[in-house]
Amino acid sequence: MNRRKLLSLLGMSPVLLTGSRAAAEGGHNGDPKARSTGSAPKFTALSPKGTPPPVMLYSMAPSLSTLEGKTIYLVDTGFFGADLLLQQVADWYQRNMPSVKTVLRKKAGTYPTDDPKLWADIKANGNATIMAIGH
Amino acid sequence: MEKMGIPSVPIITEAYMDLARSVAAERGMPTLRIVFTPHPIWGKTPEQLRAIVDGPDPVTGKAMMKEISDALTTPLSPEDQKSGLQPVSLGPPVFGPNTSDDLQKYFMDNAMTDYLPINIPTEEKVAAMLKGTSHHPDEEVGKTGGGANGAWHYTVKQVAVNAVMAGCDPEYFPVILAIASSGRLALEGSTTSFCDTMIVNGPIRDKLNMNYGIGALGPFAQPNATIGRAWTLMGKNLGPGAVPGQTYWGSQGNNLNYNNVVIAEDEKSSPWTPFHVQKGFKPEENVVSLFSGWDVRQGHGAKGAGALIPKFDEQIGSMFPTLARMFNCLVILDPLTAKLLVDQGYDTKQKLQEWLWKNSTITAKEYRESFLAHVWLYPRALAGEQPYATWWKASDDTPIPCWPKAENIDFVVAGGQTNAMFQIGNFNYIGSVSIDKWM
Repeated sequence: MNRRKLLSLLGMSPVLLTGSRAAAEGGHNGDPKARSTGSAPKFTALSPKGTPPPVMLYSMAPSLSTLEGKTIYLVDTGFFGADLLLQQVADWYQRNMPSVKTVLRKKAGTYPTDDPKLWADIKANGNATIMAIGH
Repeated sequence: MEKMGIPSVPIITEAYMDLARSVAAERGMPTLRIVFTPHPIWGKTPEQLRAIVDGPDPVTGKAMMKEISDALTTPLSPEDQKSGLQPVSLGPPVFGPNTSDDLQKYFMDNAMTDYLPINIPTEEKVAAMLKGTSHHPDEEVGKTGGGANGAWHYTVKQVAVNAVMAGCDPEYFPVILAIASSGRLALEGSTTSFCDTMIVNGPIRDKLNMNYGIGALGPFAQPNATIGRAWTLMGKNLGPGAVPGQTYWGSQGNNLNYNNVVIAEDEKSSPWTPFHVQKGFKPEENVVSLFSGWDVRQGHGAKGAGALIPKFDEQIGSMFPTLARMFNCLVILDPLTAKLLVDQGYDTKQKLQEWLWKNSTITAKEYRESFLAHVWLYPRALAGEQPYATWWKASDDTPIPCWPKAENIDFVVAGGQTNAMFQIGNFNYIGSVSIDKWM
């Protein structure tokens, strides 16, 4: 079957076989000036980017000298699997560093929600935090 | 917790390594000590999880628990203790001069497009776009939701550049500015591959020749196509962007992101109150209403879709259980379908809303096992928020509505009346914005 007949059966115009006039006549992007000079015109484009905020750097918290005898909060953010993984972390400390006290806590609210009460609890009663994000 | 003076280690699956590091840097601790696990950890048995905890960090190869101990006990380096404001480079304000082809490639290579050809945003074209509004080019239009350090900002001119790239005419510009002013840019980063939806109401639909007839949701009109595309390009460029693996994690992506779902409501053919009037605007006001969610599905799969005497209330309701509970519902009705619903007795959207809410239910077990229920619904139940708390405790077979309130079901009317069709979107209504303000 020839292409003209196939297009006709598909309900398309055989004119498609002729291609576009712009493609036939145009040089670079169909621009007549570009055709006549043999070089494409040049443009300057504006950036589409928005303006980012400056970044405030913060010093990290001082490290502990040892974990022995310390209280570590294990915080589950609520995403899949984090609670079960942290249970295994707690079990690991029990087996390997029994002097470490672990406190398993689930962050309140849905995952983007802040939990200032929990942070205050950790600040008052904990020495370190391990937070599992899940997924 | 680090900022509060408590040494802390996040445990993150390796799939989010770039994200975790970029977020730590954005939030002011670029050297934060992060420990990685294999991905995913979800669905693992306790034995498998124990093996992960006993095993190595897949990124560093070091024993995971040793790495956690080191992260909490290794003294800080000078780099770890840096503080103060760090300015961020804006990047070059212009690109070129170069050929159109080279600029197309430059924009693509730098992830500033949707990988379809763009209209090159020259100074002249942007100046023409700016004539579509009375607002000053340097006026701040809006800002993104923002991270710990604040939000990205953008001006009228920066929005205009994106509108030019999308192929918009200057008269569309107030609609795009209204969308931008909401701060809700397209291309949410979620692993679940969001998409966005807008409803345009008011006389501007006809002024711009928006299509709300045959093929209303298809590629048949320049304003519908390019206004939606501009939303996506703004999502790429005006905020932190949509960089796969860094600021975008949609596992499968969403084909609707190319130009989102743009709906101009057919206010004349609709038997009901226009959407913007429902939201408190006057009929003559021009308004764009925004939604965010996951998908749109055709009503062809509804129960009874082939019945000789169709009951559209039951058809629509039969699809509700297939939608996810984290988002609500937007029913997009052809005017023909809306009129048939009026014949069934639903002379207001509210009546239909109430019937559907009461009569389309799922069991409490299905509710608790619905997508993201443990992440999104359970924490609210745990906090005592109603009706989540009651529904979470209900016995397995208890029928419950698909959403907390009847108002969680929205309706809009558009289509060519060639057939009584409807589509259902799994979307949350975000809000409505005046377009007139940006004329």
